[in-house]
Amino acid sequence: MNVTDIQTTFVSDTRNRIAIIAGLAVLTLGGNLLAMVLGAPEGLLPLPSLPLTIPIILASYWYPRRGILFSVCFASIYAVTTYFLSPPAPLLAYAILPRAILLVLIGGVVAFLATKLRESEQQMNQIIEFLPDATFAIDREGKVIAWNRAIEEMTGVKKEAMLGRGDYEYAVPFYGEARPLLADRILQGDPEAGYPSVRRSGDVLVAEIHTPLLRGGRGAHIRFAATALLDRSGRVTGAIESIRDVSDEVMTEAALQNAGRQLNTLTGILRTDLANRLAVLYGHLSVGVMKFDDPEILSFIDDLNDAANGIRRQIEISREFRDLGTSPPAWIPVQQAIGKAAATLSFGDVSLDPWTERLEIFADPHLATVFTHLFENSLAPGAKASRIVVTYQLRPEGCAIIVEDDGTGIPDAEKEDLFAQKAESYGHGLFLAHEILAITGIAIRETGTFGTGAKFEILVPSEGYRIV
Amino acid sequence: MITAVLPELDTKSTGIRTEVRELTSAEFSAADEVWREYHGTAGDPGRDRIFATFLAGQIVSLARCRRHPGGLEVDGVFTPEGCRNKGYARTTMAALVTACHNDDLHMYAVESLAGFYSEFGFISIPERNLPPRIRERYTWAAGNMEGAEVRPMFRRAGL
Repeated sequence: MNVTDIQTTFVSDTRNRIAIIAGLAVLTLGGNLLAMVLGAPEGLLPLPSLPLTIPIILASYWYPRRGILFSVCFASIYAVTTYFLSPPAPLLAYAILPRAILLVLIGGVVAFLATKLRESEQQMNQIIEFLPDATFAIDREGKVIAWNRAIEEMTGVKKEAMLGRGDYEYAVPFYGEARPLLADRILQGDPEAGYPSVRRSGDVLVAEIHTPLLRGGRGAHIRFAATALLDRSGRVTGAIESIRDVSDEVMTEAALQNAGRQLNTLTGILRTDLANRLAVLYGHLSVGVMKFDDPEILSFIDDLNDAANGIRRQIEISREFRDLGTSPPAWIPVQQAIGKAAATLSFGDVSLDPWTERLEIFADPHLATVFTHLFENSLAPGAKASRIVVTYQLRPEGCAIIVEDDGTGIPDAEKEDLFAQKAESYGHGLFLAHEILAITGIAIRETGTFGTGAKFEILVPSEGYRIV
Repeated sequence: MITAVLPELDTKSTGIRTEVRELTSAEFSAADEVWREYHGTAGDPGRDRIFATFLAGQIVSLARCRRHPGGLEVDGVFTPEGCRNKGYARTTMAALVTACHNDDLHMYAVESLAGFYSEFGFISIPERNLPPRIRERYTWAAGNMEGAEVRPMFRRAGL
């Protein structure tokens, strides 16, 4: 079945509903009349009138705005026919009237509740309708219960053609065939099957595919995100799925990666060239030290040597920056990153207490390098630290990972430029740490008191951390 | 997995080293097992951090830090009968206090253990100074802390 078929096979339920109501009305009224004609005893009169509530309930539920009018008409027919066909009795009118009023009341209550239900559904539909992402929802049976404007534009399939459809027909615009989508996988409890890269973000399942059918047949990269619809007791009653065209994002990312690779190649060549020329310079300086013994010239050579060392440090730093941002950020267990950093350092008598066991943050894969540079600061002989503690604190704005030591700390005058790019901070690597964290919007600051130890706070935004 | 370096306990003679660390969510059920003897306490990964001392892979002491809307509460400090008087509760509490030191901590201490908790910086406070959601647990005592044999305590944030 293709998209055109779906649009042309749309069938309205309206005619069926009216026929059901009319049929039930005739049946129940007829039954009531028959009871009158056959002379049902007065005590049994309520029994034939009970089925009369069925058409009233159905009519009021399906057509709430006309529910009361229908109930009044129906109850009137019942009252008039019963009054004239029943054997004369002194209190007959008083027996029939309450039953007619009861029928009207039932119709009114059902109509009122149905109206409230429709309003609630209408609000929910409007929210879904105006979502910027293409979105649809299915019920427990896999039938479409919502199909918003954005998905109409993306697929060219109108809401009227899709509501109530099942059998995976909503997949046709994306795959060219009816097959389960991510929302169906949620209902089936098998979300990973059929998608090469399904990932879970909280309660939401996310997957990306390339489909050749969208964008007028030119193809598009689309990202599906689906989650279960739950009732008040937590049972799955359906699923909602949004689809975003991420083609531009993917192309930009590919272009950036390409540019990054080219830049890395270029800087690699420049680095090698610089290192070679630096080796030549060191050679000349060594020869100069042996050739001259004038103290002024030797002092001059020393200065040149210091400058050459500075260039060498810059080459080393540029090598560390080389891979920064080339791999996509990911959820990283903080305790593991700390362990990786600690494994590369010698702690001597300094103890390390990391208390971040269940914490994960969304960060660049070089997160361990951040901790390496922070620990290096504490382990420097001048820091005089004997203990490093890593903890975290949940705050209204996110999560703070706190790395602190009991050393001398950092003088106030140095705090402002601590993370700035400047020659004397290259050795500390704090600029690099700052840049790695900034990739995913994580900030870092130093809040310790000089004399009592250094205290670095890594401030992770709310959406960038999770306790697993 | 990294674990804190512990002070030497009496395990020296046995050669078995203790380990103290925070439990993962998957290990909460193991804590619930141990707590079964302790008022049926059960951990909730959504708001609890549980710290444990292990000996040969078995939990020998537990302590919990629960996040309430008004603050953090320490409770569930428990060492099974056969493991007592070996310093396990002390190492577990030390771990909890270090890991959670960035926030003020509150607790209802068993009266006889108030001295133990004071070693970690806890001080006695009037019950009214506890956050309301923590006070709810002892509403039944109607303020009679002596009768309930507990003492409200508080530890200011800091290492």
